[in-house]
Amino acid sequence: MVFEIHPLILNILVNFAIGLIITVSLNLEVGIAGISQFGRVLAVITGAIVAAAIPGRLLASLIGLPSGVEYADHLINFKIVDQINKILAVNISLAVGILFFTLILAALLGAFIGYLCSYPALRLKEAYLGITLLAFGDVVNTIAWNVDPIAGGTQGVNVPDVFRWIGVGPERYLGVILILIGFGLVVFIFVERLIRSPFGRALKAMRDSEVAATVYGKDIVRLRAQALMVGGALAAIGGALWAFYTGSFKAVTYTRLTWTFWPWAYMMLGGIGNNLGMLVGVFAFSVIRTLIYAYKTELTAFIPISPQWFEYILVGLAIIVLVLFRPQGLFPEKPALTLPKEEIEKIRQRTKKE
Amino acid sequence: MLDLILKAFAYSGGIALTAAGITLIYMATRTFNFAHASMVGWGFYIVFAGYSLLGGTPYYYVPLAALFSGSLGILIYFGVNRHLLKAGASPITLMMSTLGADLILLASINIFTDYLTEVHKLNARYFVLELKDVSLGIADSVNIRGIPFVSLAVVILTIVGLHLFLTKTKFGIAVRATIENTSLATVLGISPERVYILSWFLGGALAGLGGGLLSLTISGYPTIGMTIIVTMFAGAIVGGLSSVFGSLFGGFLVGLSEYLGITGLSLTFGGWILAYRLIIPLAAMVLTLLLYPQGLAGIKIPKFMLKGSQVKSQSKEV
Repeated sequence: MVFEIHPLILNILVNFAIGLIITVSLNLEVGIAGISQFGRVLAVITGAIVAAAIPGRLLASLIGLPSGVEYADHLINFKIVDQINKILAVNISLAVGILFFTLILAALLGAFIGYLCSYPALRLKEAYLGITLLAFGDVVNTIAWNVDPIAGGTQGVNVPDVFRWIGVGPERYLGVILILIGFGLVVFIFVERLIRSPFGRALKAMRDSEVAATVYGKDIVRLRAQALMVGGALAAIGGALWAFYTGSFKAVTYTRLTWTFWPWAYMMLGGIGNNLGMLVGVFAFSVIRTLIYAYKTELTAFIPISPQWFEYILVGLAIIVLVLFRPQGLFPEKPALTLPKEEIEKIRQRTKKE
Repeated sequence: MLDLILKAFAYSGGIALTAAGITLIYMATRTFNFAHASMVGWGFYIVFAGYSLLGGTPYYYVPLAALFSGSLGILIYFGVNRHLLKAGASPITLMMSTLGADLILLASINIFTDYLTEVHKLNARYFVLELKDVSLGIADSVNIRGIPFVSLAVVILTIVGLHLFLTKTKFGIAVRATIENTSLATVLGISPERVYILSWFLGGALAGLGGGLLSLTISGYPTIGMTIIVTMFAGAIVGGLSSVFGSLFGGFLVGLSEYLGITGLSLTFGGWILAYRLIIPLAAMVLTLLLYPQGLAGIKIPKFMLKGSQVKSQSKEV
């Protein structure tokens, strides 16, 4: 150990990193493309299932351990994953390779899920679409929860620890969190670039007026499908990273409350449509949620209710207050500058003279 | 078999009432009410708490549950919905606001559950009231309980009562006028505010009523509303979201097909399929939305079901 960081800060950082990936992907679909995505959990759980089911099986078959249906049996699974972790601990290149292979696979499946969602997204609008996507999310959750051979069903499975080479104790914790934050920032910058690209501007045009966008030759069907595919892929990467971080997968923890409604609250706080606002929204909520859990004993002495319900009330109140008094969020979306600021200033000077 | 059919009827009756509540609120205020989940949950807990603390039969507390959830509806209207309607918020904003209200109500149910558990030493985290129901006798070695009949009777009374209210009373006609064309109704001196309050109260009351009756059929826990809200939405959407009677019918149909369908499937495929019962209402809902967005009420055959069919012209955005 070189230096020590308070576990509270680490906890905030990990919630921030994962929350950022999910919320940025949600903002791309809701804020930029104008699709009412109420089924974010769908892509997230898909990514997590990939991380739970694929890399472990792959490695198990490589070293000659059972990799079929019996892999997901909770009585055998932890022994297999234990063996795998021993190999991953010494073989860094294999571990990193597996990590990226899984993330790419998760992104592909997430994109496929997004493509499937584009079918209802073309036919339905707003609340109806929201309810339909929400229903899709529940279906996948029910299947993952009940079909044991995929990822352990009710018992869940352990996920191979691709970060074992960093260490096992606090070093691992710190290392993984730094990597996750790296991923979060990469996703953030990627989406930021995407929004400023012609594709992003086409999405905004579609959001603001479908008819106008069609008149200018934009294919609405394709744009919607592409937005949903990119968003789904990013959310699936977030889900896979979360499964790798926690080292286990249980379908029951991927609820629509945690992975759809809370990201919505983060997004609304930051300002729907403003990618930079997501940083603030996610960070604020990560701090609040972590602090509530960290100081729950002190809180219970002060307010005689369980901190979990306190958290619900706080998130609920935040949503209501935002909707009522500041629907545009803390940092409302601003018109995007298509040229650097100096260029715009130059043009302005020039036009003034003329 | 008899037992199964009776239970299916009791369940479907409860779902039908809650679906009607969702539709009523949606028709009047264009709000998809997520808080319905917790309003139904409160229905469960009012009946449970009343029965456990005061005794009698659970039925005594069902009207109380309706009143309580109805007042929750009024609270949500004055707290959140009213301001948003005045500001002309988008349907998604309206939906999100009820989600916030739902989180707060869910927390309140949980706090109430903690209170019942700690102060009154009740097993409030998970309860079954089915056995506390009155027994009407035994036929074919099946203990026939009161709830299927009560549930059906309440559904029929709701249909008759709402029909009389909407067609025979002045205020009822004003309600229909406001739903069909708010600005025109306002010109004629009808206050839309009163109609909104009434629909939130009635919608909440139907949620509480449905929840109270369902507590005698299925087991209760704090998140019960979140579990069955998908079935409730499915009922409302299959019913077309444009007629209270349509959604009563739709809710009943979805409830029946879920309960009977999954049992039928389990007889063919084995018990493992029971875990997937949620998929039946979801499939019904998604298929209805994708193939026939107007729902059952959009089908032109039963004239008497089409009380709200004119509203469709407003809700074309499907």
